Amino acid sequence: MHKKLVEIKNLKTYFFVEDTEKQKSLHQEISDPALMDLYKTDKYLKNKVPAKAVDDVSFDIYEGEVLGIVGESGSGKSVTAYSITRLIPDPPGKIVSGEIIFKGKDLLKISFEEMKKYRGNEISMIFQEPMTSLNPVMKIGDQIMEAILNHEEIPKEKAEKKAIEMLTLVGIPSPEKRLKDYPHQFSGGMRQRVMIAMALALHPSLLIADEPTTALDVTIQAQILELMLRLKKEREDSAILLITHNLGVVAETCDRVIVMYGGKIQEISEVDPLFEKPLHPYTVGLLSSLPNPDLPMEELKAIPGNIPHILELPKACKFNTRCTKAFDKCFETEPELLEVEKNRFVRCHLYENEK
Amino acid sequence: MNPENILEIKDLKVKFPVTGGLFLRKVAEVKAVDGVSFNLKKGETLGLVGESGCGKSTIGKAVINILKFSSHDVEIDGEIWMKTETGEIDLNKLSRSEMRKHRGNIQMIFQDPYSSLNARMSVGQIIEEPLLYHTNMNKKEREERVAWLLEKVGLQAEQSKRYPHEFSGGQRQRIGIARALSTNPKIIIADEPVSALDVSIQAQVINLLQDLQEEFDLSLLFIAHDLSVVEHISSRIAVMYLGNFCEVGDGYRIYHHPIHPYSKALLSAVPLPNPKLKNKERIILTGDVPTPMNKPSGCGFRTRCPIAKPECADFIPPLEEKEPGHFAACPYVSA
Amino acid sequence: MTTYFIRRFLLIIPTFLGITLVTFLILQIVPGGPLEMELMKIRMGGSDGVSESGSTSGSTQNIPQSAIEELQKFYGFDKPIHERYILWLGNLLKLDLGKSYVYSEPVMDVITSRFPISIYFGLIGFILTYIVCIPLGVYKAVKNGSKFDFITSALVFAGYAIPGFAFGALMLVLFGGGSFWDVFPLGGFRSSDYETLSLSGKIWDQIHHTILPVASYMIGSFATLTILTKNSVIENLSQDYIRTAFSKGLTEKRVIFGHALRNSLIPISTGLGHAISLVLAGSILIEKVFNINGIGLLSYDSIIQRDYPVVMGILVISTLLLLVGNILSDILYAIVDPRIRFK
Ligand SMILES: Nc1ncnc2c1ncn2[C@@H]1O[C@H](COP(=O)(O)OP(=O)(O)OP(=O)(O)O)[C@@H](O)[C@H]1O
Ligand SMILES: Nc1ncnc2c1ncn2[C@@H]1O[C@H](COP(=O)(O)OP(=O)(O)O)[C@@H](O)[C@H]1O
Ligand code: SF4
Ligand code: SF4
Ligand SMILES: [Mg+2]
Ligand SMILES: [Mg+2]
Repeated sequence: MHKKLVEIKNLKTYFFVEDTEKQKSLHQEISDPALMDLYKTDKYLKNKVPAKAVDDVSFDIYEGEVLGIVGESGSGKSVTAYSITRLIPDPPGKIVSGEIIFKGKDLLKISFEEMKKYRGNEISMIFQEPMTSLNPVMKIGDQIMEAILNHEEIPKEKAEKKAIEMLTLVGIPSPEKRLKDYPHQFSGGMRQRVMIAMALALHPSLLIADEPTTALDVTIQAQILELMLRLKKEREDSAILLITHNLGVVAETCDRVIVMYGGKIQEISEVDPLFEKPLHPYTVGLLSSLPNPDLPMEELKAIPGNIPHILELPKACKFNTRCTKAFDKCFETEPELLEVEKNRFVRCHLYENEK
Repeated sequence: MNPENILEIKDLKVKFPVTGGLFLRKVAEVKAVDGVSFNLKKGETLGLVGESGCGKSTIGKAVINILKFSSHDVEIDGEIWMKTETGEIDLNKLSRSEMRKHRGNIQMIFQDPYSSLNARMSVGQIIEEPLLYHTNMNKKEREERVAWLLEKVGLQAEQSKRYPHEFSGGQRQRIGIARALSTNPKIIIADEPVSALDVSIQAQVINLLQDLQEEFDLSLLFIAHDLSVVEHISSRIAVMYLGNFCEVGDGYRIYHHPIHPYSKALLSAVPLPNPKLKNKERIILTGDVPTPMNKPSGCGFRTRCPIAKPECADFIPPLEEKEPGHFAACPYVSA
Repeated sequence: MTTYFIRRFLLIIPTFLGITLVTFLILQIVPGGPLEMELMKIRMGGSDGVSESGSTSGSTQNIPQSAIEELQKFYGFDKPIHERYILWLGNLLKLDLGKSYVYSEPVMDVITSRFPISIYFGLIGFILTYIVCIPLGVYKAVKNGSKFDFITSALVFAGYAIPGFAFGALMLVLFGGGSFWDVFPLGGFRSSDYETLSLSGKIWDQIHHTILPVASYMIGSFATLTILTKNSVIENLSQDYIRTAFSKGLTEKRVIFGHALRNSLIPISTGLGHAISLVLAGSILIEKVFNINGIGLLSYDSIIQRDYPVVMGILVISTLLLLVGNILSDILYAIVDPRIRFK
C-alpha cells in the first residue's frame, strides 16, 4: 500500500445548539476534558448543548486512493470533510479535539493564515450544488483565475492561459469564449466541470468531493465521475475523498469505503469485501434495502424506523434503535471500532470476539 | 376504451408559451410533451423514467388536469380517457367544476415531502381536506377515516394533531400518501415520491406503496429518474427523452435488454452497487440534454446519439413494436 | 432586453395620465376649493356689516353674480371638468404649468425656486446615509452577535422609532438658539447676513445650518438601510459560493469584499433608482420645524391654500421622477446582476 497522505485521529466536531431542556442535565454528562475546557472558556456556549455531528472519528487517506464515505443524511459525512480544511461555520460549529495530520503537519494546530495556504492548493474541494457553488455575479474565468492567482505569483495572462487549459481539460467547448460567461449561462453538469477545473488547477494532493454528482442526471453523473477518475490517474500520488450516499457510485469509483452512522464510523473496508460480505448490521441493512434488478416486485428489506435526531441519538450503540440484531449489551455500552480482518474495521458488539 | 385499461392517453401535447417582444406576444413555445400516447392498465404500475426536464412531471400534471387550471397560457392537446363507474370520460375536455367531481378518482403524490404539505395545517386537516371536497362524510366519519388512513400508512392515529415540521422526510411522504388515498382513488400518479429520501427510508416507502396498491387495487403511474427503483416497482416502463417516448415495454425486458440507443446509454450510466461490474463497457453520452425550447429537428436524441445518421434530422421516429409488447422509437435498431 | 425598457418607458404615459387625471378630478370635486375660499375671504374680510348678519356657510347671495362669474373665469371654473383637464394637459405639453393662485407667478418658477434647497438637503442626507449605512451594515454582519452589533442595532432602531421632525424639534430645543446650548442656529437655509460673509464664513454658515436638518432627515432611513445591508451580507455569507471562495484559500477580507459584498449590494443598488424621487420629496414636517423653504413645505402650503396649479405641478414632477426612478432601478438591477434578463 501507498504512503499515508492524511491521518485523522479522534476528530470531534460538534455544533452547539440551544436546548434549554437538555441543558439542565448537561453538566453531569460532560466527561470529555477538551469539551469541559471549551465550556469553561467560551461564553458563547452557555445554555447550549453539543450536537455531536462527528464524534471521535479516526481514519487515514493513502496516496493514490479513492476513499469513499457513505451514510444517510445527517450521519456526519460533510462535517468530517469540512473539518479537514477547517471550513466548519463557527459559530455554531467547533472542532473540539483531534488531529488531522497532512504530510506530517497537524492542520488543527496551525494558524488560520497558514491554513489558507493549504486550501485550494494542497487540498481542494468540490461541492454538491453546482448551481449555487459558483459566485453568480462573477465571470467563470475570473473565478478560476482567482483560485490560481491566490497561490501563485504569476502574471494575469499566464493565469488566464492556465484557466483555458483547465477548461479544455474538463471538456468545455470553446473555452476562450466561455471564460467570459457567467455561471447561469452554464448547465448543471458544465458548472460541475468548472468546479473541477478550479479545484484541480493547482494540482492538489487531496481532492475532497462532497456529493459531486447528487444533483445531476445519471448520464451527466457518469460523465463527471469518469472525468474525475481520469484526471486523478494523471497524478499517481494524489487522493480523492468522495462523499456520497449512492452505493452504486461507491462500488464503481472507490478503492476503500467508510460507512458512517450517527456521527461515528461503523465500518471501514476495501470496496470488494464490503459489497460481497457486509459485516456491520447497518451496512447490511443499507445494501439490502436497494432494489435488486434480478428480483423485481419482491418486498425490499428496509431498515425499520427512522434516523434519530442528532440530539436524540442513543447512548450506547448509535444504531440500536433500528438494529434487528440488537441484544442487551448494545443498550449498555458503545462498541469499539475493531479490526476484525486485515484492513477491515467494524464497530459492533457482534464481532468483538472474532479477532 | 380497451376493457383492460383504466387510462388511455392519445397523442398528448403540452406546450408552454414563451413571450417576448415589445407587446409580450408569444414568440416561441416549449414543447414539454410532444405527442405521447400510452395506456395504464387496471391495477398495474407503469414506470416513467427520463432525465430532468424531459417532461415526466408535465405528463403527470396534464393527466390529473391541474396544469390547465394553474397556468392559463398552457396549451394541452390530445385525449385523456379515464374509466369511471359511470362510463368513460375525456379529462382534457372537462371544465374546472366538472373535473372537481372526478378528482377523487385520480390523485397525485409529490416529490418534495418538505414543501408539498401545508405547514400551517395539522396532519389531520391535511388528510381530511380532500374528504371535505369530494365526499359527503360528516365530521365524525371524516375523523375516523383520517385515523384509519394514518394507521394504514404506518403512522399513529394520535399523530393527526401534529404539524408537518414535526415529522421526518419519510414520515411526511407517508402523510402525502395518506392524503392521496383519502378519497379512495382508482389511479395514483406518484411524481418522484422517493427521490428526496435516504436509501433505507426509500425502501420503506416503496414497500408501503406496493402494499397499498395490492390492498386497494390501485393503478399507479410511477415517475422517477432512478431506473433501479422504477424497475423494481413497475410492471411496464416508459423511457422518455425531450418530450417523447423512446421505448415502452415490460420492465424486466427493458432493464435487461434495452433496444433504443438512449435507453441503452441511460442504463449503462446507472452506477450499480456491485464492484465486480466496475469495468463494464459503459456508453458515456457526450454533451447535455438540449432545452426543449430548441429541440433538434427530427429525432430529439440525434445530437447525442452514438449511432445517429444524417436522415435522423428529417423525421420524428414513431414507436415501433420490436418484439411483442416492446416498442422503441428508432428505425435503426432491433430487439 | 432593450425592448423591455422601451415598453417600460412607453407605459409611463398611461400611468402618468391615470395618476394626474384622478388627482385632478379629486381636487376639483372636493368642497372648499379655491373659488369658495376666495368667496369666503371676500365675505368675511370684505365688509364687517354684511358678514355679521349673513350666514357664513356658503351662501353667495350677497356677492354680485357678475363678480362670481369673473372669479370663475379667473380660476377657469367656467368650463366643464373634462375640458379643463384637457386644457391643463395641453399646456403641460408646452411645459406651461399655469400660474399659482397664491404667488401669482408661473408655477414653474415657484417650484424651481424651491428645488435647489430640497436637492441640497436631500442629496447630502442621501449620500451620507449610504456612506455610513453600508460600511456599518457590513461590519455588523461580520461581527454579528457581538456587543458592537447589539449596541448599534439598539441605536439605529431607536432612531427609527423617533419621527424625524420630533428629533429635529428636540435638537432645536437642546442645541438651537440658546435655551440650553447655543450651538446651532434655530433654522433657515442660511443666515440672513450670508451675502456679507467671507468665503470660509459662508461655508461654515452653510454647514452650520445643515447639520441638524440633515440629521433629522437621515435618522429614520438609517435603520432600514443598515439592517438591509447587514441582512443581505449575512444571507450571502451563508451561501454555497462563499464556501467555495473559502475553499480556494482566499482571505476573509477577499471573501467578504470580493464575493459577499457584490452580491449583497444587488438589493441595495436597486434602491438608488427610487432615491431620486425621495431626494426631492423632502419632509414637510422637518422643513416646518427648521423653517426651510423646500418642496415639502411648498406642497403642504399649496394644499392648505388650495393652490391647485402648484399642487398639480408638484404632482407632475414627482410622478415622473417616481416612474423614471422605478425604471432606473430595474436598469441598475440588470447591470449589477448578470442573471437578470427582463423580457
Ligand atoms: N451549521 C450547522 N448547525 C447545526 N448543526 C449542523 C450544522 N451543520 C451540520 N449540522 C449537523 O451535523 C450533523 C451531520 O451533518 P453532515 O452535513 O455532516 O451530514 P451528511 O452526512 O453530510 O448528510 P447529507 O447526506 O444530508 O449531506 C447533522 O445532524 C446536522 O444536522
Ligand atoms: N409552467 C411551466 N412554464 C414553462 N415551462 C415549463 C413549465 N413547467 C415545465 N416546463 C418545462 O417543461 C419541460 C418538462 O418539465 P417537467 O415535466 O417538469 O420535467 P421532469 O419532470 O421530467 O423533470 C422542462 O423543460 C420545463 O422547463
Ligand atoms: S452493536 Fe448491537 S445494536 Fe449496534 S449494530 Fe451491533 S448488534 Fe446492532
Ligand atoms: S432515430 Fe437516429 S438519432 Fe434517433 S435514436 Fe435512432 S439512430 Fe439515434
Ligand atoms: Mg452532506
Ligand atoms: Mg419533475
